[in-house]
Amino acid sequence: MTDSINQIVIVGGGSAGWLTAAIIAAEYETQPTADPAGIPLTITLIESPSISTIGVGEGTWPSMRTTLQKIGITETEFISRCDASFKQGTAFRNWHHSDDSGYVHPFTPPLGYEELDLAGHWLSHPHRPPFAEAVGTQAAVSKSHLAPKQITTPEYAFNVNYGYHLNAGKFAQLLQEHCVQRLGVHHVRANVIGITSHENGDIKALQTDTANSIPGDLFIDCSGMNSLLLGTHYNIPFHNVDHILFNNSAIAAQIDYQNPTDPIESCTLSTAHSAGWIWDIGLPTRRGIGCVYSDQFMNRDQAAAKLKSYIASTVSPDAGNSAALREIRFNPGYRQKFWHRNCVAVGMAAGFIEPLEASALVMVELSANMIATQLPADRSAMQRLEQQFNAKFEYRWHHIIEFLKLHYVLNERSDSDYWVQNRAASSIPDGLQTALKNWQHRGPWHHETQHADDLFPSASYQYVLYGMGFAPQPDPRLKRRAKDQAHRAMALFKENEEMTRQLLAALPDNRSLIDKVGLHGFPKI
Amino acid sequence: MSNYTILRPDHHQNLCVDMSRSAALGDEVSQVLTYPLEFRDIQSCYPIFFTKDSETGAFMPVALLGLNTGQNLFMINDAWDAHYIPKLIERNPFLIARPANANPNQTSQPKLSIDLDSPRVTEDRGEALFDSAGAPTDFLENIIAMMQRIHQGLEHGAQLSQALVAHELLEPMTVNLTLADGESKVLEGFYAIAEETLFNLSGEALQTLNQAGFLQPIYMAIASFSRLNDLMARSNSAKQQRAESL
Repeated sequence: MTDSINQIVIVGGGSAGWLTAAIIAAEYETQPTADPAGIPLTITLIESPSISTIGVGEGTWPSMRTTLQKIGITETEFISRCDASFKQGTAFRNWHHSDDSGYVHPFTPPLGYEELDLAGHWLSHPHRPPFAEAVGTQAAVSKSHLAPKQITTPEYAFNVNYGYHLNAGKFAQLLQEHCVQRLGVHHVRANVIGITSHENGDIKALQTDTANSIPGDLFIDCSGMNSLLLGTHYNIPFHNVDHILFNNSAIAAQIDYQNPTDPIESCTLSTAHSAGWIWDIGLPTRRGIGCVYSDQFMNRDQAAAKLKSYIASTVSPDAGNSAALREIRFNPGYRQKFWHRNCVAVGMAAGFIEPLEASALVMVELSANMIATQLPADRSAMQRLEQQFNAKFEYRWHHIIEFLKLHYVLNERSDSDYWVQNRAASSIPDGLQTALKNWQHRGPWHHETQHADDLFPSASYQYVLYGMGFAPQPDPRLKRRAKDQAHRAMALFKENEEMTRQLLAALPDNRSLIDKVGLHGFPKI
Repeated sequence: MSNYTILRPDHHQNLCVDMSRSAALGDEVSQVLTYPLEFRDIQSCYPIFFTKDSETGAFMPVALLGLNTGQNLFMINDAWDAHYIPKLIERNPFLIARPANANPNQTSQPKLSIDLDSPRVTEDRGEALFDSAGAPTDFLENIIAMMQRIHQGLEHGAQLSQALVAHELLEPMTVNLTLADGESKVLEGFYAIAEETLFNLSGEALQTLNQAGFLQPIYMAIASFSRLNDLMARSNSAKQQRAESL
C-alpha cells in the first residue's frame, strides 16, 4: 500500500462537492501527460441520485470571479448558464428600528482607506449622507439598479467590485459538466451505504449501492447537513451557536417578476422582521425570496405569513398568495473539527449559519483552495495540514459568527422579545463585547484586522457599525495634523461625489447589461 | 442627433447633398471607423488602432485623426491636408442600414440611408440625388457603388476583429506622448496587434489568416504606428500656430 496521496474521493454533488472537485482538478493534472515520471491525481465524486441538494445558496462574494477564472469557465458562459446577475453588496433594512431607511454594506472599502479613516470626519458633519454613500460610489450605483461594469469591460474585470447572485441548481449542473467533460473528474451516481476503514481508523474505501467500492487516500465530505463521513461516521461533535445567532429555520420561495423588464436589484436585500429577516435575491428570471427565523420566537405559520406579506407588498398580492414554499430547518453552528484523519468536511457538512452575509460559498472556496494548494504529499504530511486546517477554519467560523452577531447587537427595536434578547450580553461572544467597548473610544480601522487573510476586512465592520447608527465618542485630545487631515477628508468626499456622478452616467442598468452579455458576450480583453 | 432614413425617390426627390470637406459640416472628428481593405491607404497617413464598440464590446478598427476629442489635425482651413481621405469620412451623410425585419428569422437587405438632419442635406446646395424623372443621378449611382464597397469592407472588418480575438492578436495599448511644449498626452482605450504573438503563430494559423485576407491588413496596421509621429508633429505645429495668433 502506497502512502502517497493520489486518489481523492468527494462525497456529495451540490455546489460544495462540484466546486471542490473543480478547484482541486484545476490545480492538478487528472490524466497522464508526456512526463513519464509524473503521477496524475484521480478525483472521484460520488453523488446520490436520490438525495436532493439544499436548493438555495444563491449569493457569492467577489472571490467567486477568481475561482471561476481559475477553474476555466468564462464569465459569459457562467452568466448565461446560471441565470446569474451581479451582487455589489447587501442592503439591510429595519435592523436598527422596525421601520428605518436602511444601510448598505458594499464590496468596496471606503475611499482612501489605506491613508485615512474617513469615519471620524463623516461623524463630525451634522447633515451627513448615509455612511456608505459618503465614502464610496457603490451604494448610489446600487440604489439606481446599475451594473458594476459595461459591455466593453473585459470578463471578470470591474468598474466597481462585485460577486454574483445565481441559480444554485444550474450552478452545480454547470460545474458538474465542466468537471467531467473538461477537468477529468470521475462522476459516480450511487448512494454510499458503508465505509471500510484501515486499522488505524483512516477511511479506506466507500461502499456504494450500485457501483463498486471506491478506495481513496483523501476523502472530502460534501454531503451537506447529513455529514456522512465527519458527523455520522467519525461522530465529530457539533458546536451549536443558537444561543448567539437565534435563527434556525427558513421558508424559501421563487417568485417571477411582474414584468420581464422589471429592474434587477444590485444588492441582496435583507429586511428584518419581528423574529428574523427576509432575503430577496434578484436574478434576471426570478426573485429568490426567503424568510429566516427562529422557531423559539415565531412558529412556521407566522413565518409563512411574514414571507407572503413581503411578497405581496414587493411583487404583487397574487404572487404572495400563490407562492410555493420550501421549508428548511438548520442547526446554526459548526463541527468541533473539520479535518479528522484522512477526511475533511467542506460546505454544510462542516457547518452552517444563516446566510446573512452569503458566507457559505466563500467558505467552500477557501476550504477547497487550502486543500488544493497544500495537498500533502503523503499520509504522514497530512497530520500537519489537519492541525492547520482545523485551527484556521475554527477561527474563521468564530469570526463569521461574531461579525453576524454585530448586525444584531446594535438594534433598537422593542417590538418583540427576539430583538431585546439579541441585545442581551449572554448572547454576545466575549470577543465582540470587548470590541464594542473599545469601539466606544475608537472605531475599527486597520488595527482591527487580526490576520492578513481575515474573512471580513475592518471596512466591513465600519459599514455595519455606522449603518446601524453607532458613533464612537470623539477623542478630546488635540492632534497635530487635525487640520491637514480634515482638509484631506473634504477632498476625498468631493472626489467621491465626482466619481459617483461619473459612474451613474456611464454604467448601464443590470438588465441591459445582462441582455447584452446574452447577445455579445463579455470581451476576453 | 442623426436621423438616418432609407433613401426613397418619392420622399427625397428634391434633396441635394454637399459632400465638401468642412468643419461646419461635421468633419471635426478625432477618429473614424475604417476597414481592412482600406488599411493599405489609411496606413500611409493615419495610425490604425482597435477600439471597442460601446454598444456591443466588439472590436473595431479606427484611424486616428487627432489627439483630443473632436480634434481633427488633418482639417486645416476647411481643407483636408492629406493625400488619402478615409472612406468613412467621404461617405457622409450616407449609411448602409439593415432595416428591422418583421420576421426575426430573416436578415433584411441592406439599404442606402441618408441622415436627414445633417447640415450637408438641403434642397438647394450641392449634388442632386434624383433627376426630374425620379431616377438616380450619376452622382447617386457612384455613391451607391462606394457604399456597397464600404459595406462589404465593414463586414470583412468585423470578421477580422473576431479572428484577431480568436488568435489572441490584440493587446491593450496605452500611448504615452510628450509634445513639443512638454505637455504629456495619454491615449487610452486602444488596442493594437500583439506582435510577439503574431511572430509565434504557426504556419497553419498564418495560412488561415492569409486566405481570409487578414494577413496583409495586420501588417498594414503595424506599419501605421509610425504615423503617430506625424500626428504629434501636426499637434505641435497646430499649437504653435495658435500661440502665434494670440
